[in-house]
Formats: sequence, C-alpha cells, structure tokens
Amino acid sequence: MAALREVLIFNSKCFRGVRSYFCSSPAFQYSSLSPNNASSNVQKLDFEESDTKRISKAMKSYMERAKIHDNFIKEQLHQYNIGKRHLANMMGKDPEFFTQHDVNEAIRYLFPSGLYDPRARPMMKHPDEIYPKRKAAEFDMNGRPFHSLFYTSKPNYYNLLHDLAVKFKQLDNHEDKMIYRGIQDQQASELFLFGTDWVSKESVESVLLESLTDSQYSNLIKTMERFAQHRYAVREKNFIMQFRHQLAAQTEIQKIPELMRDESNRPFTTFSARRKRSNATVKVIGEGTGLISINGEDILYFKRKQDKEQIIFPLEFCNMLGKVDVVATCEGVGMSGRVGSIRLAIAMCLRCFVDAETIERMRLAGLLSYDPRERERKKPGQPGAREKFTWKKR
Amino acid sequence: MSLSGLLRTLPTLNAINSSLGSLSLLSRQPYSMYKPFVKEPVYNIEQLDKLIESGEAKKREFVPVKAARNDHNVSVFYDDLTSKFINMVMVKGQKELARNLVEMGYMKVKQIQLAKYYEATTDAERAEIELNPITIFHKALENCSPVLQLTPIKRGGSTYQVPIPITENRARFLAMKWMILECREKERKIHFPERLAFELIDAFNNTGKVVKRKQDLHKQCENNRAYAHYRWG
Repeated sequence: MAALREVLIFNSKCFRGVRSYFCSSPAFQYSSLSPNNASSNVQKLDFEESDTKRISKAMKSYMERAKIHDNFIKEQLHQYNIGKRHLANMMGKDPEFFTQHDVNEAIRYLFPSGLYDPRARPMMKHPDEIYPKRKAAEFDMNGRPFHSLFYTSKPNYYNLLHDLAVKFKQLDNHEDKMIYRGIQDQQASELFLFGTDWVSKESVESVLLESLTDSQYSNLIKTMERFAQHRYAVREKNFIMQFRHQLAAQTEIQKIPELMRDESNRPFTTFSARRKRSNATVKVIGEGTGLISINGEDILYFKRKQDKEQIIFPLEFCNMLGKVDVVATCEGVGMSGRVGSIRLAIAMCLRCFVDAETIERMRLAGLLSYDPRERERKKPGQPGAREKFTWKKR
Repeated sequence: MSLSGLLRTLPTLNAINSSLGSLSLLSRQPYSMYKPFVKEPVYNIEQLDKLIESGEAKKREFVPVKAARNDHNVSVFYDDLTSKFINMVMVKGQKELARNLVEMGYMKVKQIQLAKYYEATTDAERAEIELNPITIFHKALENCSPVLQLTPIKRGGSTYQVPIPITENRARFLAMKWMILECREKERKIHFPERLAFELIDAFNNTGKVVKRKQDLHKQCENNRAYAHYRWG
C-alpha cells in the first residue's frame, strides 16, 4: 500500500512537471519509459492480491500497456547494447568507450548505401531516439484523472492556453496599475521578437506530448502573437521566447568562398549556377580591365539586347564594371536560361570582391537568389499548360 | 471590461492582421514556385537606398528574396513603365522585335523634338521643349489615363452603363492599350514607330486621338451619372 501511494505521488509530481514547458527534465519525459522508474513498481503492485479490487479497469489496462511497452523498450535497449559491442569488436575498438558517433561511423563503413535519402539508409540508434515518448498515467488507482482538463483529451495543450489567458490577465492588471499611477512608458515588444520566429508544430507537439491539428496549432500561434503584442509583454519575455526560435540571417546562410590566386598572382573565384535547363561556370578575375568572354567569344555571343544587359547587370550593380574580367562557359537549352545562369554565377563570384553591405544589397535586389521558375508542363486534354480547347456543346 | 482592455483595441486589430498573415504561411499558394513569404526584389538603386534608409531592409534580413527577373536592370536606359509597354506591344513572344519598335519610336520622338529645338531661336523657347523621350512617354500616358469607366450592370431587367472609378493599374493598362490600338491602325505609309512617335508627342501636348478617346469616355460617364447609384445594391 505504501508503494502504491508512492506511485501516486510520483505520477502526480511528474504531471505537474508538464507545466514547465520545454523543460528537459528526464523525470517528466521518460517516467514511464525507463525500466527502473515508477512503472516497474507498478508491475510489482499488479500482482498484490489485496489491492486488486480497488484498482480501476482504466488503471489496470494502463499498467498492462506500460508493462508491455517497458518490456519492449528493455528488449530494444538490450539489443542495442549488444549490437554496439559487436560493432566495436568488428571495428577493433573498446566496447566500453564506443559512442553513438562511432556507431554511425561503423554503420557507414560496414553497410555502405547509395540510397539518396539519408533516412532510408541503414542506421542504429538508441531506442529513445527511435520510439516516441509516452505520457505517464494521467489518472489514479480509482481511474480518477489528476488533471481538471483531462476530458478535453489534450490537457497539456489546453492547459497552455489557460496559462496564456492567466498571464494575459496579469499583464492587463499590471497595465491598469501603471495607468492608475500615471506611468506610461512605451515598451516595444518588437525589440526582443526581432530575428526570431514561432517554433514549428512538430516541436510544440514533442514538448506537449500531444498531437495537434493544424487549426489548434494556428490557434495557439494566434494567441501567442496577440500576447506578444501586449504593451508589457516584455515582462513575460522568458515565457514567450520558449516558443520562438532564432532565425539565421539570409546572407549568413550562404558561404562565401575564399579568393584564390592564379599563376600571374591575380585573385579569382569560380562559381557554377543553373537556371531553367542550362548551367554555367563562371570565373571572375580581379584586377582586370572588364574583359568578358563567353564560350570563347565576347559579349556578342548573346544576340539580344536584353541578354547582354543581363550579363552587365550584377557588374553594374556593384560598380565593378571594368574592374574585373569574366570568363564564362555555359551550356544547355535556351539563351535566357544560359544568360540567367551566367548572371547568377557572376553575382555569386562578385561577393568575394565587395564588402558585406554590398552583398546584402545584392541579395535584396534578387541577384543572389536562384530562380526556381521553369516551363510549366502541358496538360492532357488541353493544348497547352493553361490554354483550353474551344468548348463546343456538340 | 477593464480600462486597459479598452485601450488595447487598436493594437489588437494589428495583432489579428499579423496573425492572419502568418496563417497564410500554412497554406501554400497554388502555381507559385516561391513560398508566399518570399519578398519581391528591389533592384532599382534609388528604391533600394530608400528601403535601407527607412529601416525596412533591416526587417528583411531574415526573409528570402525572389530572383530579379530577366528584364530587370540597373542600366540608365532602363525604365519600368517602358518595359511594361514593350511587353504589351509584344506579339507571340517576339520581345526583341517589340523592343526595337518602341525604341525606334523613341528615336523618332527625339528627332522631332530636336528639330523643334534647333528651329527655336530664343533660349526661353528652347527651355520649354522636352527632349527626353522617356519623360514624354510618362507625361503622355498620364494624359491618356482615364479616371472613370463604364460597366454594364443589370437592374430590373435592363442593363445600364454605370460609371465607376478605376484603379491606377487599370487606368495605366487602358492608356497603354488605347495607345497601341491607335498605332496599330492599318494605314499604308506610316509604320508603327512613326505612329507611336506622333501619338506620344500629341498626347504629351494633351491633344491627339488617344486623349480624345479618354475625353469621350469621361463625357459618356458624365452623361450616365444618373445611374451611378446602381453601383451599390
């Protein structure tokens, strides 16, 4: 009986743990999974005859499920450890100090795979990473739920919304107080939200341990957005930031290659780019006089004015016209595709020759973006991509 | 409702708007190769400077930008409106031909204006003559743009031509369309570029067929103003 009480306390405790969102305390996440925790006690209890009558059917079935799951995980863990030892022996390393990184290396070496998608290749990971985490029991021995929102079927989600409402009210009260005192300081909430975005649906789900529908997620984000717009939202900064993740600046995503030197000690870079069905490789050489060579010819390789202007566009944009030489080779279908790929490659190369501010300007001008637009396919039952046959009744 | 609740009404509206914007992220736009949050490129150097000065560029630091299109440019000869006009003149994708026609028209405008310039004797007269064909084109289009339009609306069994105000975009489209239609009119001797040059200079001086067409439309709208209330209900 004492042990039973322990289980109850433990479970109610770990349920309270859910309230601190995004806390990575193992007690809350793994409680039902790890074999030496609460549920192993539950197994023992299951066979205590004196208490069987009091245990509700819900609890009983939960305990059965927990037992099966725990055994399964235990088995998986055992197999994982054995597999790890085997791999360590095969690779001639000490099994005691064989890490997950070594496992990955060994798998890649021993089971080489040419499959495109990394997720389709063979792998060996800790069962915790593969099998989804489960919630601990949400009700007591009599089948009575711990949480008041249990019957919403998504207590953690609705609890979060409830917490938001409470915090909203607190901020309102604070604002009232400030107005009453005559203090009106404008605190811009934009300041701390800048450069971050709301976390994805998947990460919210993994923290709440509940699957959400799209509308539930957008509801949550809407509420959070409105909460963040509050004049005194800065007071709840830590709470809000739990639901936001840092964005990387667009210019930082792209790596700028280093300048190389050729035999006459002039700096140069190369870049290959694509557009539509053609590709181009461009070499931009510094300390030049503005020579342009395309497939061995000069700029007159392109007959149309628009194409010639496109070649000049990035050079003119960064005032590098006449300061660098361009050597380009292009192949593929269509002149505008070729010229587009050369333009992108030149712009990419020019990043090495200009300062960071100009790179950002080039990005805003759309010179550093790949153009994903392609010819739209013809559809059956109509003469073109969009065009329809003339409709005749008969 | 608390005092602060009342005070919050305005920012609340903003919040709803912004949340609507973020909602649209969830559903993908059909037919677009770009995701809906990707920004349009700002390739014009003056506009870009303005964007950076206003601090808007700082906000876009984290947002991807669409690639500049094939006909975008920073050349001194580049003009947004002209490029639009060339696209409207174009038939069956023959852009180079359309561009040559429009540019020849501009050349004719320049020649005519220069002839006037050299004929003029005093400096005051010369200063009045506009020599830049692009400026002439912009002014001509402005003179040709209508403010109202007639739309057929059915009321009580009969259709009425109801005057309605039109957007800037639509006005620009109509002006360009009329200009092109006027220039394409079949006549043996005069070709498109010459016609265009004459029409542009006429429209620049607020005379000519296109301007007359605009005035006719306005007159018709004026006549039909009794039906204006059919727009609603």
